[in-house]
Amino acid sequence: MRKSPNLRRRRRVIPAISIASFLAFVLAACGGGSTSGGAGSATSANITWWGWTPTTQVAEQYIKAFNVKYPNIHVTYKMLTIAGYNAALRPALASTVGPDVFDVAPGGANGSVETYSPDAVNLAPAVEKALGSDWQSKLSPIGVSSLMIGQKLAAVSVGAVYSGTVWINENLFSQYHLSPPTTLAQWTSDCATFKAHGIGCFVQGVGQTAFNEDTLQAISDNIQPGVWAKAIQGQVPWTSPVIVKALTIWKEMFSDGIMEKGALGVQQYPDANNDFMSGKYAMVMMGTWYMQYDTQAGMSAAISAAGVASPKNFTALPIAFPDVAGTGHTGALYGDSDYGLAVNAKSSNQAAATTFAVWLGTSTAGQEQVANALDDIAALKGIEPNWSNISLVNSGTQQAALSKLITNAVSSSEPRLGTVTPNLQLAIGVASTTVASGSATPAQAAAALQAAAAKMPNHGAV
Amino acid sequence: MTSTEAGTTVSITRQPNAAAGRAAPKGRRRGPRRPPGLPWILPAFIFVVGFVYYCIGYTGYISTLNWDGVSPNPQHVGWANYVQLFHDPVFWDTIRHTVLFFVVTFTVQTAIGFTFAALLHSKVKLANLYKVIIFVPVVLAPATMAPIFRQIFSATGQFNTILGDIGLGSLEHPWLAQSSTALPVIMAITIWEWTGVTFILYFAAMTQIDKEIVEAARIDGANGLRVLTRIVWPSVRGTTIALAMLSVIGALKTFDVPYLVTLGGPNYATEFLGTFIYRVSIPQAEVGYGAALSIMLLILSLAGALAFGLRGMRRN
Amino acid sequence: MFETMRLRSKIILQVILTIMVLPFLFPLIAMVQESLAGQGWDNYKVVWDTGVVPQFFRNSAIIAAGVIIIVYCLTMLAAFGFSKLHIRGREIYFWMMLAALTLPEVVLLTPLFSTAIHLGLYNTYFAVMLPLAALQIPFAVLLTRNFVNGIPDELFDAARVDGANAVTIFWRIILPLTRPIAAAIVILTLIGAWNDYLLPLVFLQTPATQTITLLPSFFVSEFSDDQTKVVASAVITAIPEIIAYLCLQRLFERGLTAGALK
Repeated sequence: MRKSPNLRRRRRVIPAISIASFLAFVLAACGGGSTSGGAGSATSANITWWGWTPTTQVAEQYIKAFNVKYPNIHVTYKMLTIAGYNAALRPALASTVGPDVFDVAPGGANGSVETYSPDAVNLAPAVEKALGSDWQSKLSPIGVSSLMIGQKLAAVSVGAVYSGTVWINENLFSQYHLSPPTTLAQWTSDCATFKAHGIGCFVQGVGQTAFNEDTLQAISDNIQPGVWAKAIQGQVPWTSPVIVKALTIWKEMFSDGIMEKGALGVQQYPDANNDFMSGKYAMVMMGTWYMQYDTQAGMSAAISAAGVASPKNFTALPIAFPDVAGTGHTGALYGDSDYGLAVNAKSSNQAAATTFAVWLGTSTAGQEQVANALDDIAALKGIEPNWSNISLVNSGTQQAALSKLITNAVSSSEPRLGTVTPNLQLAIGVASTTVASGSATPAQAAAALQAAAAKMPNHGAV
Repeated sequence: MTSTEAGTTVSITRQPNAAAGRAAPKGRRRGPRRPPGLPWILPAFIFVVGFVYYCIGYTGYISTLNWDGVSPNPQHVGWANYVQLFHDPVFWDTIRHTVLFFVVTFTVQTAIGFTFAALLHSKVKLANLYKVIIFVPVVLAPATMAPIFRQIFSATGQFNTILGDIGLGSLEHPWLAQSSTALPVIMAITIWEWTGVTFILYFAAMTQIDKEIVEAARIDGANGLRVLTRIVWPSVRGTTIALAMLSVIGALKTFDVPYLVTLGGPNYATEFLGTFIYRVSIPQAEVGYGAALSIMLLILSLAGALAFGLRGMRRN
Repeated sequence: MFETMRLRSKIILQVILTIMVLPFLFPLIAMVQESLAGQGWDNYKVVWDTGVVPQFFRNSAIIAAGVIIIVYCLTMLAAFGFSKLHIRGREIYFWMMLAALTLPEVVLLTPLFSTAIHLGLYNTYFAVMLPLAALQIPFAVLLTRNFVNGIPDELFDAARVDGANAVTIFWRIILPLTRPIAAAIVILTLIGAWNDYLLPLVFLQTPATQTITLLPSFFVSEFSDDQTKVVASAVITAIPEIIAYLCLQRLFERGLTAGALK
């Protein structure tokens, strides 16, 4: 059969396309060689800052305070969503038009400092210049250690958050003449009372497993302090009796009616948060970041965001995680840097970017701004919120409670998520949900967790 | 139906065949030889292939690496990611869920969309209002509807409340908290979201049906149901095949609803290939494995679409 | 399709339609309720007060228009070619195009990003418009080809006998007769382009170019998630799409095939 002209033409088109695509690919791959950036001026530049936190409003406050000292460095903040942060940042850092300053955090979730540290400048020299050679003792240890990769300070911590607290709606407790629970039995009976009056007791978004890790760590620290941190490092197996007991008590929270019905289908944000804020539930396990809701403005914004039409502020107070195991070890707090500012190694404004990052993380002026926002605990030691400028819902009870919380937190050095890789976090999450749903016993879940962690490099620790 | 022009008569009797959507290439054609079509398809072809095939090639290359997407030294591992994939129980879970999901959602969406299109092709009151209500879900981003659906299907949510109100209280469940009921909820949300597309496509296809044939059948005594099954349904076969192909691909790719409503949980009960790829690539930063899964998704999508497409062609 | 001469049939049809539509209506009501919860109509005011809504609308409209034009033109040409013209190995071309539909967006980000940077398109409309069009075309071609198949061949043969060439046939026959499917394609492409979130997030850096899908991100932060405003933003985002749908309604109605023969 004669080869028709069409056939010949077709034969040429397909290879042509493959070559074209391949060339495009090679061009892009080869051409992507990194150009390292330049220093630029340290006091005058236009720099960009990308982050998932703080909110644009809070960021503008920080920048305004920054411009008091450095009026010629213009900072533009771009707030990215948490969900989209990694997806947007990765290609940006691979290019030459990425941000000058960007958020990173310890652990494996968003903006993992471990993942992005190769793109970040070592900020230790700049911090030493700002604070002196004993800079490490002037900063909260958690903030430094969780953002240090090897010898490199990949980012300057802006503030820390700690978990381990349970927050209660004090108004609801007084209304039904209940006191905050300190034992498992009291917790169960408080819940029964609330339920009898049609109020939810304790709400947790078990579907969003990162927060389950906090609860398990609290229970484990209650049974025997320190075991959890060792298990993460692989020094103690996850099948240790302490961990199994923690999972057993976790299961009991479901069977004893403490956890809300259908908790596995709930997410901590926005569902559980809104349920607590709208007064449907009396207790929720959140960390020090909840302090921001003790202010009049913060609380009413949160309540109306939860869908309540005429918000009535209530007194939210932190309590120590109840002594569910009856051992007397309560009040454990564990945390990490909430986020730090890293400087892009490809930035052409490295000096100015460094000035900003170091200012926010180590200067008194910057850190005071952070402390007053009340969602993070300052990274610089000795900074307390300026209570006289903060309008609390119920300063009588709240100020003392918050002060005490901050003091206790700052003196804690137990890590929370900073030493956990994403894979380990996932495996812990699986253990929490399989036990919660009943598809695994605590012992089985612990064994599965240990098996998974054993396969990971460094047992899944960072 | 009678006409003085022979051409018209021929066309009317031929029409059901034509409307059935012949897609098979013809052998010897009657009539004048057709003009060459290659220049017509080349702009679209080059545009699409140029953009996307580079990405496919890139993904294929990445799938042979052990890489976190950022560090400058990826590790070459050849086929290892694919081997891992075949041994991964979560991968097989996603396949199972996808097949079940496809069968249920495609069937229900087709049934509802087709029925709506037929109903709205008749003279009913407030047709535009119905059309808008069915279609608005297509327009709404899943990201905003997800928390609302979580609320509706929560243990104390509106769905359970309504069940209780109409006397079906025994059917109340914590829908999203149980592995057994979470997947059906995801299916229901997807059906709610996409039936509008099925509807407008069937609606457009039905405009090609000659009203006179329908009238003739009705005069001959056929009732509504028979008209639907014997005339309308076969006429829109091409649309049904096209929708089947798109549904297969969509089911494999599905990401938004299972990710946003249940995060793939509880315990991977609603994990799909799309959510699995996202989880592996972004938070877990195992970009090589994610790329291997993506290539697998591509192969499965093409296989599924081919299965339907070829069946459609063979029948003609 | 159904007979509506008798009152009984009319009522039955109306009732069936209403019952079927209720499950679709219910979540929409829940959504509007949520957008009015908390601060009520002030939610919309707060969303508007972010000051970016007109800009974002404009950007989304420009991108959507660009995508629609590219998709419509290329699709119509290609569907005509695939359906009615002679191509050796046309199924191969067709399936190669269809393969482009199968990849999830998240997988396309990094390679597209390199391409955008090298072509100097970062932070321009084209960086979003071109990939979106490339991703929509296979879908549109699949549907349009199918529809064009349904136009009787006799129409073309008769035209060719009358001396028309391919271009004339395209202009005089294909374009008018494909209005219903063109309306469907325009709507679905509009929705795909308008609602796209990931590409604008990655490729558009400044509010001057960003799209309306980035509006909810103003209300979601690390420790708070203001659902009421997010849903209000979603309602605002959806309104132009619904209006477009209603405007294109007429085009869905016209079944011109039968008329064209006479």
